[in-house]
Amino acid sequence: MPDNWGYVFSAYGLAAVVLLGYWRRLAGRAKSLAGRGERRQDR
Amino acid sequence: MAARALGWLAVLALVAGLGAAFGYAPREAVQGNVQRIMYLHVPAVLTAYLAFALVFVGSVGYLLTRRPGWDRLALAAAEPGVLFTGITIASGSIWGKPTWGTWWTWDARLTSTAVLFLVYVGYLLLRGMVDEPDRRARAAAVVGILGAANIPIVHFSVKWWRALHQPSTILGPEPSPIAAPIAATLLINWIAFTLLFAYLLAERMEIARLEDTHAG
Repeated sequence: MPDNWGYVFSAYGLAAVVLLGYWRRLAGRAKSLAGRGERRQDR
Repeated sequence: MAARALGWLAVLALVAGLGAAFGYAPREAVQGNVQRIMYLHVPAVLTAYLAFALVFVGSVGYLLTRRPGWDRLALAAAEPGVLFTGITIASGSIWGKPTWGTWWTWDARLTSTAVLFLVYVGYLLLRGMVDEPDRRARAAAVVGILGAANIPIVHFSVKWWRALHQPSTILGPEPSPIAAPIAATLLINWIAFTLLFAYLLAERMEIARLEDTHAG
């Protein structure tokens, strides 16, 4: 059977994009919540 | 701080897993290099099982105690669980095209996994539709408990019905016939995915706690 490297890299690439995207979303949300907490303390 | 250390540990384990998948594991005799998708596909589904088992634990815990921490555990496990199930379906589909000749077939394993995915997408949508925290947590807990019933159906579907998908090679009743380097690579990637899940779970739980603090 041919090696089909294109399929292999597509699968790993897609997983990397999904997981990195979710991690970035979590990091952004944590940063925004931390900022909101600091503003609340300043008042 | 502990979550950050867990994150770095997960990164190291993922790098080791990639190194093993592409550098250590041999080229499979029948399928060739496309079989390397297995080191992504199998750990992803095992991690999804773990995530949804934790949704079940959190859901039961909430219904018994009404403590928001249990609900936060269920929510924090459900999101990555959906992602890992999505990765399982997508990687399986990509693997299926060169080996089965099709991206998708309504085989028992594939169909039950798609149902599992949709149930937990529904779980997350339901959480977004209810504003009152206790009502939201109770409704989500019911779905979280009922949804877990699908996990054994997915796992044993290849045994219970005639399926195109191969039967379980690991977590099966007989000793695994996998060659040692392939089994070791699978194990490394399974550990890496579990560490990554633990990190995402810890981060998401902390975010849920902060959200509750700001809302209250």
